[in-house]
Amino acid sequence: MANENSSFQLLANGILKENPIFKLALSMCPAVGISTTVINGLLLGTAVLFVQVFSSVTISALKNYIHPRIRIPTYTLTIATWVTVIDLSLAAFFPLAYAKMGIFVKIIVAFAIITMRLEMFACKEPISDSFWDGLGMGLGFLVGMVVIGFVRELLGSGAILGYDVLGFKPLLFFILPSAGFFVVGLMMAFFNWIEVAYAQRKKG
Amino acid sequence: MKNILTIILRLTVSCLIAGLIMGMTFVFTNKAKKANEHAREEKVVFSLLGYSKANPIPDSMGLHEIFRYVVSDGEAQSIGYLLPSEGHGEAEAFNFVRIDLDGKYLDSSSVAITEKKVKDQKDRDAAVQIALGAGKEIRFVDQTIVVTEGDGRLAYLLGGKFPGFKTHIAIMLALDPSYSILGLEVMEHEEDPGLGAEIEQEYFKNQFKLKPFEKIKSIEVVKAPLPNEYFDALEGRVDESAAFDIMKQYSDQDIYALTGATISSAAVSSGVRAMTKKFAYRLDILDRVLNEQQIAVPF
Repeated sequence: MANENSSFQLLANGILKENPIFKLALSMCPAVGISTTVINGLLLGTAVLFVQVFSSVTISALKNYIHPRIRIPTYTLTIATWVTVIDLSLAAFFPLAYAKMGIFVKIIVAFAIITMRLEMFACKEPISDSFWDGLGMGLGFLVGMVVIGFVRELLGSGAILGYDVLGFKPLLFFILPSAGFFVVGLMMAFFNWIEVAYAQRKKG
Repeated sequence: MKNILTIILRLTVSCLIAGLIMGMTFVFTNKAKKANEHAREEKVVFSLLGYSKANPIPDSMGLHEIFRYVVSDGEAQSIGYLLPSEGHGEAEAFNFVRIDLDGKYLDSSSVAITEKKVKDQKDRDAAVQIALGAGKEIRFVDQTIVVTEGDGRLAYLLGGKFPGFKTHIAIMLALDPSYSILGLEVMEHEEDPGLGAEIEQEYFKNQFKLKPFEKIKSIEVVKAPLPNEYFDALEGRVDESAAFDIMKQYSDQDIYALTGATISSAAVSSGVRAMTKKFAYRLDILDRVLNEQQIAVPF
């Protein structure tokens, strides 16, 4: 990752080129477990976005003080701190949303994508770049979750954002966790197809 | 060696900082969280009684809280009830009635506390301690709300906690004066989503509705599929009088266990059973004592 990246490139990188779900295939467990509706995906994605940005900035700011041998425990500690902060704030200020996804917020601590970004990027790069990278990755995750949630909610329960749009339930299978993998797989294929098509057009 | 020391130092410092941040967030958010919980509790109380914001509780109805304490006086233990007295709103508006473990009346003392302060556990404990005098140890156990309409009792609302499949399940139960169940609401639990967490669903918790006390005393779960008409009635998909008839028809049935969550279902059933039985036993004793001693209460 080059230093001269502009903030916009960093942002776009997280959403498209290195999308955590469709490209890096990280944090699949929550992606398939929670993304049964658009709202669930949006809520968890937002929580991850905040944790990712805060953690990236914190680690980037403290990178010179982190002993290389204990960097992973330090990352985990940082993430755990921010997750706790988000968890408590959600419980206090958004009780309705929290009641739905409270237990999922706590497992953000174990999300591979956040630790991976800290290890790959934030511990080497300056604060502002880390901020944009964190924002990009968080948004990438958010977009991924919302897209999967959209497909699964539409096909599984025939609704969007809780509103019945189809009037019937096409395939109940899409609500089940295993269907999450199915949707992710299809999305990956779709993203790759776009990329290949784009590259070929550029060539020809 | 030097490495170890710096690592220890750095980890300790980072842990301290992390702890500080988390602690500060807790302090900032705790008040809002408490307020949320209180608002939720109030809403649940209203909905269990069949009222909502749009359809508020009429003025003729009164909610009276009873606080139960365990009092230890050296070796001897007794149960203490903090009850509102007839003259509501005055300074010494509460009585603390002590009953020994065999159900015999011990003594009663008036407690100086206002109705607002009685809701706060710290203030309440302090006031009870003053009324009892030093040397006695008190421990708050639970609280019950008696709902009255005019002179008659309408319902009891009691909260309770019991072990579920993972951690504790906290529920709120509404009973009518003959201890039959009016409604049940799950307040807090950490069961598995999709399995044990289904105890929150209408079709599970409404199964307890309208069950008579006689049935509750021996209620169990059965592993059988929930009949379709019963499911529709529990989920409120049929109109009210039809739902009532169907639920009445099933009121002598055991609870249909949730698929894949028999333990959670059984935990709720046995929890409800224990809560109801114990509450009925205690309230009968309390009522007898209040009658014998001519202690005036507003319920």
